[in-house]
Amino acid sequence: MSVVATLNKNPVRRNTAQVGLFLIAMLLVPVVFGTGYYLNMMIFIAILALPALGLSLLSGLAGQLAISHGAFFAIGAYGSAILSARAGLSPVLSTLLAQILVAVIAAGIGAVVLRLRSHYLAIATLSFAIIVELVIEEWRGMTGGMQGMLGIPPMGLFGYEASSDVQFYYVYWPITALMLLFALNLASSRIGRALRAIREGEPIVSSLGIHTAGYKTGIYVVSSVFAGIGGALYAHFVGFVTPATGSIMFAIEIIMVLALGGFDRLWGALIGVALITLLNEYALGFADYKKIILGVTLIAVMLVFPRGLLPGLIDLARHRRIARAA
Amino acid sequence: MLKVSSLEKRFGGLTALKDVHFSVTQGQIKAVIGPNGAGKTTLFNLIAGTLRPTAGDIRLDGEAIAGLPSSRIGMAGIARTFQQPQVFTSLTILENAMLGGHRYHRGDFLSCGLGLRHTRREEEKLRERAEKWLEFAGIGDIAHRNASELPLGQQRYVEIARAMATGSKLILMDEPAAGLDDTETRELGDMVRAISESGTTVLLIDHHMDFVMSLADEVLVLNFGERLAEGTPHEIQNSQVVIDAYLGTDDDA
Ligand SMILES: Nc1ncnc2c1ncn2[C@@H]1O[C@H](COP(=O)(O)OP(=O)(O)O)[C@@H](O)[C@H]1O
Ligand SMILES: [Mg+2]
Repeated sequence: MSVVATLNKNPVRRNTAQVGLFLIAMLLVPVVFGTGYYLNMMIFIAILALPALGLSLLSGLAGQLAISHGAFFAIGAYGSAILSARAGLSPVLSTLLAQILVAVIAAGIGAVVLRLRSHYLAIATLSFAIIVELVIEEWRGMTGGMQGMLGIPPMGLFGYEASSDVQFYYVYWPITALMLLFALNLASSRIGRALRAIREGEPIVSSLGIHTAGYKTGIYVVSSVFAGIGGALYAHFVGFVTPATGSIMFAIEIIMVLALGGFDRLWGALIGVALITLLNEYALGFADYKKIILGVTLIAVMLVFPRGLLPGLIDLARHRRIARAA
Repeated sequence: MLKVSSLEKRFGGLTALKDVHFSVTQGQIKAVIGPNGAGKTTLFNLIAGTLRPTAGDIRLDGEAIAGLPSSRIGMAGIARTFQQPQVFTSLTILENAMLGGHRYHRGDFLSCGLGLRHTRREEEKLRERAEKWLEFAGIGDIAHRNASELPLGQQRYVEIARAMATGSKLILMDEPAAGLDDTETRELGDMVRAISESGTTVLLIDHHMDFVMSLADEVLVLNFGERLAEGTPHEIQNSQVVIDAYLGTDDDA
C-alpha cells in the first residue's frame, strides 16, 4: 500500500504527518528569516489561533456559534494571571488550573443552553460575555478593575523563563501545533462523526441510542478550553491583562477570523488568524474606523459566503473551472 | 416482546390514534396496514419516542417505554427506518452505517483528540460492524460514496444498514417498499426475511398488499386512527370489516 493510502486510512497518522510538516516549517522560520519585530506578530498568531480553532470546532462540527470565546480567553488569562502572580504558582500549572474553571463554567452553560434546540447558544453566550466583562471591571481586589493586572510572570518551567520573542516563538508554536493536531484528530474521530450527524439531524442521531446533548456540551467545553489556553498564553506573553483582553469585540474578531478562513475548516481558522493579524497591523491601525470596517466586512462576507470567504472563493474558482471545461 | 395498550395520540383537535392495542411476539414479522392518514407513521413515532403519546402504555420486554426520549428507546433496543429516507447527506454511506453501531464503541473527547491507539482499534471494530451490514443491505461496494449521491430508493438501504448496526431487538420499517419496482420489492422482501432470521423482530408498514400478505406473520389494520382488525394475512384477507373498509375498494390507498 502506498504511503498516501496508508495515511488516508489512518486519519490520526495523516493529521500527525500534516501538522508535523507544518510545525517543522514554522520552526524553520526564525532560522531562515532571523529575528525581528515580525516574530512578535507571529507569536500573536500562535496565541489567537487557539480561540479561533476552538470556535472552528464548535461551528464546523456542531454548527453552533458562540460569542463566549472572548470571555473564556479572558477567564484563561485572568485565571492564570491571578494564580501565578498572586498565588505564586508556576505559569504552566496556573495555565492548566485556569482551564478547570473554564471547563466547569462551559459545562454549566452547555448543559443548560444546548439542551434546547436551535440557536440559543449565540444569545446565551453573549449575555455570559457581558457578565464576564462586568465582573472583571468590578472585582477590583482580584482583577485590578479597569487598570488591569501587571507583573504576570512569563511562561516558563523549573526556573527557566521565556525572555525573548524567539524563545516565546519556540514555546508557543509547538503548543499551537499540538492543539491543532488535537482538533484535527477530534474532527476525524467518532466524536466528529457524531457531531456532524447531530448538526444535520439531531432527532435521528438520538433515535440511534446516542445521547446527543452530551456530545454538544462536550464540544462546547473543548472549544472553550481552547480559548482559555489561548488567554493564559497571552497573559504570560504580554505580562499584563486589562478588561480589553477578551472583550466582546475580541469575540467578534474571532468570528471574523472564521468568516475569512471558513467556519468548517480547522486549517482555515489558522489562515484567518494570520489574515486578521496582518490586517490589524498594517491596514486597520486607527481604532475607531477599525470596528466599523470589521463589522461591515463581517456582515458582507457572511452574506456573500455563508461558509466563509476562503471556502467561498475556492468553490467559486472550482465552478469557474468546471464552467470553462464544460 | 412489544405490547401496546390503550394508545392514544391527539394533535390539537385531531385524534390521530385512539385506543390502539396490539402486541408483537419475538421473531415475528408484523405488518401495519391502513389507508393514508390512518395513523401508521404516528404509531411508529410514538413507539420510537419521536412523539409522546397522549395516553396509553408501550412496553418492550416488560419495560415501560412510552414517553421516554428517543435516545433512551434507541438504547432499549428499537431502531427504525423512515417513510422519507433520513440519511446524513454530509456523511459517507459507511459513516452513516457506523453511526448505527456508535454507542457500542468507546472513545471520549480526550482520547479521540489525542488519537490514542485504543480509540483506533474501537474505530476499526465499528467499521467492520458497519461494513457487515452494508454488505447485507447490498451496498457494500459503494460504502465510500457520499450518501447524498444515492437516489432516494437506495438511501433506504443505507437506513436499513444503519438500523441493523444498532443491534436492536426490534426494527420499525415505515413503508420500505415505497417507490420500488417489482424486482426491488421482491429483493426487499428477502432482506426483511433475512433480518427476521438474524433474530431481529420486524414491525413494518406497507401499502403493497401482495408484499405484506406474503411476508407478514401477522397483520394489524388501522383505519382512521382505530384498530380495525388484527390477525394472520389469511384472516385479514377474509375479514369482512377489512374488505368493507379497505381491501376491496382500494388496493393502493
Ligand atoms: N406532527 C403532526 N402534527 C399534526 N398532525 C399530524 C402530525 N403527524 C401526523 N398528523 C396527522 O395525523 C394523521 C395520521 O397521519 P400519519 O400517522 O402520518 O398517517 P399514515 O402514516 O397512516 O399515512 C393525519 O391526519 C396527519 O395529518
Ligand atoms: Mg405514513
